[in-house]
Amino acid sequence: MNAPAISTRGLGKIYGQGEQAFMALRDVDLDIRAGEFVMLAGPSGSGKTTLLSILGCVLTASQGEVSIFGERVSGTPEHQLPRLRIQYMGFVFQGHNLLASLSAEENVALVLQMRGFDVKASLAEARVLLERVGLSHRRNAKPRDLSGGERQRVAICRALAGRPPLVLADEPTASLDAEHGLRVTELLKELSIEHGHTVLVVTHDNRIFHLADRILHIEDGRLLEE
Amino acid sequence: MNDVASARVTKADVVARRPSAKITTKASNALRWRMMARVAVRMMLHDKLKMLGTLAGVVFAVLLATQQAGTFLGLLYKNVMLVDNSGADIWIIPPSTYQFIGGTKPIPESTLMYASVTPGVAWAQPLVYGAGSVTLPDGGSEGVTIVGTKAPVYAGGPWNLVVGDVHALERPNTMIFEHGERNKLGGLNLGSVREVNGTRVQAGGFTWGLLPFGASFSFAEYELARRLVGLAPGEVSFVLVGVEPGEDPKQVRARLAERLPDVEVHTNAEYDRLIVENLLVRTPIGLTFGTSAMFGLLIGFVIVALAMFSSVIDNIREFGTLKAIGATTKDLAKLLAVQAVSYAVLGSLIGLALVTRVAEAIRSPRLAILIPRELMLIMMVLMCLMCVMASGLALLRVRKVEPGMVFR
Repeated sequence: MNAPAISTRGLGKIYGQGEQAFMALRDVDLDIRAGEFVMLAGPSGSGKTTLLSILGCVLTASQGEVSIFGERVSGTPEHQLPRLRIQYMGFVFQGHNLLASLSAEENVALVLQMRGFDVKASLAEARVLLERVGLSHRRNAKPRDLSGGERQRVAICRALAGRPPLVLADEPTASLDAEHGLRVTELLKELSIEHGHTVLVVTHDNRIFHLADRILHIEDGRLLEE
Repeated sequence: MNDVASARVTKADVVARRPSAKITTKASNALRWRMMARVAVRMMLHDKLKMLGTLAGVVFAVLLATQQAGTFLGLLYKNVMLVDNSGADIWIIPPSTYQFIGGTKPIPESTLMYASVTPGVAWAQPLVYGAGSVTLPDGGSEGVTIVGTKAPVYAGGPWNLVVGDVHALERPNTMIFEHGERNKLGGLNLGSVREVNGTRVQAGGFTWGLLPFGASFSFAEYELARRLVGLAPGEVSFVLVGVEPGEDPKQVRARLAERLPDVEVHTNAEYDRLIVENLLVRTPIGLTFGTSAMFGLLIGFVIVALAMFSSVIDNIREFGTLKAIGATTKDLAKLLAVQAVSYAVLGSLIGLALVTRVAEAIRSPRLAILIPRELMLIMMVLMCLMCVMASGLALLRVRKVEPGMVFR
């Protein structure tokens, strides 16, 4: 039996201590099947980013359990977390977060090198990905020379490089206009189907909701409905 | 693509078909070094102004530290140059004579005979060493150090001759003086006559840069020198010894020491070391120059530490991104180390090139900054260590970077 891509039970996160304690996530039970394209929506401060950070192994939960593709990640020592991120995950960040000193191609290749590709192979693979998103002519451009939409497309290539089974996207359309936002999300969905990625997109952009297989809502740290 | 990479791609392809499978590949340590080195250099080149500022700091630090260390070595050399350029393998000296300033207590001339007949000795020559006073044309006087050397070996005799040659000493009452002291000695020229310790002598040549800590070396033939310094019959200042080809100077030194218990016998290298040790212990020269050189290196340390720390602060989000996409703190330490070593090597090369030019430009008989290759190498290694240590400060900040910051 295939394990779910993401599974959480009784997940909670508390920031601060004593009277200052703030419960950002409460008792979150969640299952995302492999290959699903899921969106997580909710108002600001509802706990979307906290949940994404825990699932992305960049933040540890205060309580509950998290499993990624059947591997229990809650309780994993901090020094093991980079391995989990390399092994399972690709990220698309809200502000693209490309390295300013590297070209589009090198930004994508860097993740491939972290996954064990040699330099030549990683660059070749990066070129293939950039060509797939229509940016082969911009592969040598630095992020500052790319438009917002182009940067986010490069960021998608970086997230999909090496074909991680799980892609986590944090507000990928936030810095884009409606048209570009829609196109970038469509591209993400298209590629995830093509390559078989499981995708979780955090967003409050209802213009892209129709692309989701499933929409999860979160409010005050509780997962309300599926 | 190599075989390993091919295997990885194949594995990735499998992952694509079976989304629940895991990517288990991981970059080797060598690959991670190369990867981080590339990012490190790109980051440096991306902020050229900061890079130039940091390099300027390292260059200045290397300049200062090397200039101080080079001057220190130059001053040390002034004290051992007579030993280094004597042409002898072994020095027989009066007990505890490790300073050449002023004069020395004489040793019996019989030492010369004992030394000559010791197995392994090719030649033994006396050397006269004492204070002299040159009477100037205007009636004043100037001090010199008289060195008396014997033909035909001329052990301990003049070197670095810029005018005349050593055989000029064979002429009666002729001496070779220091070029750098010609003005002080009343506009001394070739053939000029001066009174030295009451005896009229003629200038037969000039050396360059033979200015020890005390008065300049002025060379005379052995017998003339004896008269000038008033050495009593049966006494000499030093005995210099050359060993037979193939003989180990240390073994010959041991034989001589056994035969001559009332004097000290040292090989050239040993005598050099004793003079330097004596100088470092009895004078503040080592402490003074050592402190200055250390300050130079500290300046480099502070500049590089601050520059790298501020670079991390400026690029904190990029470091967070690197962590989020799978870089470990160790990877980022590699990145910072590469930057630190790059700054150190580049800065050292520029700094050393500049300081050698400066040393050449200000070189004079009085001041010679010595910058041997060993010193350059030591400076570069020290600068690398300093810069890597300085990068530790940036690493402390990088360690605290949470990858989760990229989601905020």
